[in-house]
Amino acid sequence: MNFRPLPGWKPTSLTSLANPTDNDIAARRLPVPMSRRRFARTVAGGAFAAAVGSRLWTRNVVEAGSFAPIPIPGGSPALGGAFHVFGPAAFDPIDAEPVTITNLNADVGLAYISGMVTRTNTKTGDVVSLPFVDSDMRFMQGVFRGADGRVHQGAFAFV
Amino acid sequence: MDVFEPGPGAQIHDFNPSTFPPVGLFWTTEIPIAGVDRQVGKGRASLQASDVAILDYGTTPQAIFGGGPTPVPGTVSFKVVWSGVGEKVNIRNTDPVYGGFAGEFVRNSAQMEWSATVGDYTFVSEPLITSSSAFAEIGHERNGSFFPPA
Repeated sequence: MNFRPLPGWKPTSLTSLANPTDNDIAARRLPVPMSRRRFARTVAGGAFAAAVGSRLWTRNVVEAGSFAPIPIPGGSPALGGAFHVFGPAAFDPIDAEPVTITNLNADVGLAYISGMVTRTNTKTGDVVSLPFVDSDMRFMQGVFRGADGRVHQGAFAFV
Repeated sequence: MDVFEPGPGAQIHDFNPSTFPPVGLFWTTEIPIAGVDRQVGKGRASLQASDVAILDYGTTPQAIFGGGPTPVPGTVSFKVVWSGVGEKVNIRNTDPVYGGFAGEFVRNSAQMEWSATVGDYTFVSEPLITSSSAFAEIGHERNGSFFPPA
């Protein structure tokens, strides 16, 4: 997910953002088109979210596999409420649920990261430098109660 | 990962590990336990994985709502490093929408380097130190059956 702050964007749900760093300043220089943050805010409250969300997001599906982790219940209202994810300090409150797995007891991490990447077309040889913006990276490592009702150990990445 | 045209420009790549529609675990994939190293109290953590299977949906709306070209399969490798100790917060969130968990978190910063191969393209990011975070935190949390009512 991409929740990068937009220039001039004023978060309504973010009450505080601790310790801005020099990195933040550098990040603001990056071009910021339609980020996932803006996208989610645009979608929130829109008829599009309601229409599409009601069609696609009515199931609470557990991943295949008897010991598979179970998604958190619900999801961000900004995305229609049926995706099992929140965007803390982005389009959801800063203290919103940061993980995607329920029945979890784990160390966790979340970050919205921006930078530059070089893309090479291996057929044409064309090389271009492009920004990546607010890439949402998260980890969960610890124990979880799987779909089989048992506790398992595992590590997960949100990409 | 979310890649945009120079500019500002339009989003042109959106990599995530979920098939469409993402109605189960949202953009989350299992990795080797050794892929996470952390010292939460010291504000340090790292996340590394190699050759994670992803799909390139092109844009976030297409990844979430569908439409657009058929997603292109690929793989991505990444290293994310969290560092620093900013605000420390203890959260017990019982909000019916956003909550149902408790945790202790350190707000800090993070950086990432990554590479990917998708279709005819290869991607190699600039070194980790050149990246920056808009928001970052690490911590320990409990939810679901590990978050009993007070």
